[in-house]
Amino acid sequence: MRPVMTFALMTLRSLLRRRTIWGISIVILIALVGIGQVPGYGVSNQGRFMLDFGLFGLEIGTLLLAIGLASNIYPRDRERKTVMPIIAVPLSRGQYLMGRFVGAALVQAAAMLAGCLGLMVILMLNEHAIPPDLFPATGLLIVEGWFLLAVVFFFSFWTSPPLNAPLTILLFIVSQMSVSGFVGLLPTAPGIMRTLRLLLPHMDVFHIKDPIAHGMDVPGLYFLLAMVYGLSYMVFMLAVALAVFRKRDLK
Amino acid sequence: MEDCPLQVTHLGKVFRRRLGLSSFKAVDSVDFRMSGGEIMGFLGPNGAGKTTTIKCILGLLKPFSGSITLWGEHPGSAKVRRRIGYVPENPDYEDLFTPLELLTMFASMRRLDTGRDRMMAILSRVGLSSWETVRLKNFSKGMRQRVSLALALQSEPDLLIMDEPTGGLDPTARKEFRDIILEENERGASVFLSSHLLSEVETVCRRAVILARGKKVVEGDMEELLRTEDRYSIRYRLAHGGIEEEKEVEVGEESLQSSIDDLRSRGVFIIRIAPVYRSLEDVFLSATGGGGE
Repeated sequence: MRPVMTFALMTLRSLLRRRTIWGISIVILIALVGIGQVPGYGVSNQGRFMLDFGLFGLEIGTLLLAIGLASNIYPRDRERKTVMPIIAVPLSRGQYLMGRFVGAALVQAAAMLAGCLGLMVILMLNEHAIPPDLFPATGLLIVEGWFLLAVVFFFSFWTSPPLNAPLTILLFIVSQMSVSGFVGLLPTAPGIMRTLRLLLPHMDVFHIKDPIAHGMDVPGLYFLLAMVYGLSYMVFMLAVALAVFRKRDLK
Repeated sequence: MEDCPLQVTHLGKVFRRRLGLSSFKAVDSVDFRMSGGEIMGFLGPNGAGKTTTIKCILGLLKPFSGSITLWGEHPGSAKVRRRIGYVPENPDYEDLFTPLELLTMFASMRRLDTGRDRMMAILSRVGLSSWETVRLKNFSKGMRQRVSLALALQSEPDLLIMDEPTGGLDPTARKEFRDIILEENERGASVFLSSHLLSEVETVCRRAVILARGKKVVEGDMEELLRTEDRYSIRYRLAHGGIEEEKEVEVGEESLQSSIDDLRSRGVFIIRIAPVYRSLEDVFLSATGGGGE
């Protein structure tokens, strides 16, 4: 465990020292400032609007963070050959993947929590109530982000970064489609499309901004099951990514 | 198996290109064996397959055919990785870290002592003690090479694998690297040294393997490789009207005895008879045909 945690810490420090994370932070800050401007436009149900808009921003933020943080980690390591001495000596390929993943996941979770806290501050400054489910909802988005990170790592082992981003975005979009909507993409093969949709994750389970914005209670069990669902998919995706990585020659 | 840190048997590596429609044989049935405590030179022109072989040894590439064992174990296993140090060609570590940070993190990943004193001692050994807080992005190629050496040395490895470790170093640094290689060997480590600098290999290595176009073309003890099979030099002193003069003549093995008899009959004093040695460059050029690729 110690080698993985050390490498995760190394990844965390490396990501924090790069410009990417600061670019993403500025985008989050601009989005929060934008949400803070809502009262100035005289919108009715301001609180609901701010919550809806803020959680939507976090949903998109989790996708952008996953791509921004992880799509370039392995290609950069390979291009600069930093991966060679690491895998040749201190770490196995599995430890390398886990270290990189945990480091990026920590940054992702911290950025999402910062976004959530920022949203809470904006709501408080505008004298709106903070829904109790805001934190658990952010937790779900963090789990979704971790799953997306695993997807990005998986793609990064066999595609280039410019291809990684569209593939991840495509999966993000497709994974939120209903079964009928998905079958509609290729109506001539409904059986295959239905099976494919069953295999693909249902990321819509992580997006609960509507009930929260409308003040509806979300059962605790839902959060628990959704988290277990997301974490299971994440583990599966990491296992697939590792299987691909193990087969790769490091030229 | 302790006395055999590395055994390569009929190693072959093929790279597939263009969706597998074409392929390139980078290493073709290479085999050699290292003994414990040995410094082995690994030579070859560009594209000969040296780095590919090293990457197979380290488990970074999967061999297409043949096998590699390190102390009887498979490459890449945790047990093997604990015992080796690797100095890659053109190392490019995370340049946002300082050498001290990098060394500490690598030590932690290898479950070694991460104490500052120990880290500083290693940095001092490679001549970076006053650079411990400077980020690697400000380092020259030679300094990065020193960081790489420090990382390889930190675990006191039983086998040090070095791929062109002195490329880009100035002569002083090259000498320091050579001294460290010899110190490590004295400590008991085996050293596998791939280099283009033949003089360097000639100085430190006791055995060498030469590759050309993916195949092993020469393997042997340095003494055997450099010694010409049938040439001897005879150094003698000749007196001419009170003036003494030293001369040297090179003869073949078949005429050695007759030449000695002839010189003695002329009353000259034979100072030394020794086999003629070639330079490693001569061996290399004749083995590889003098060309790369």
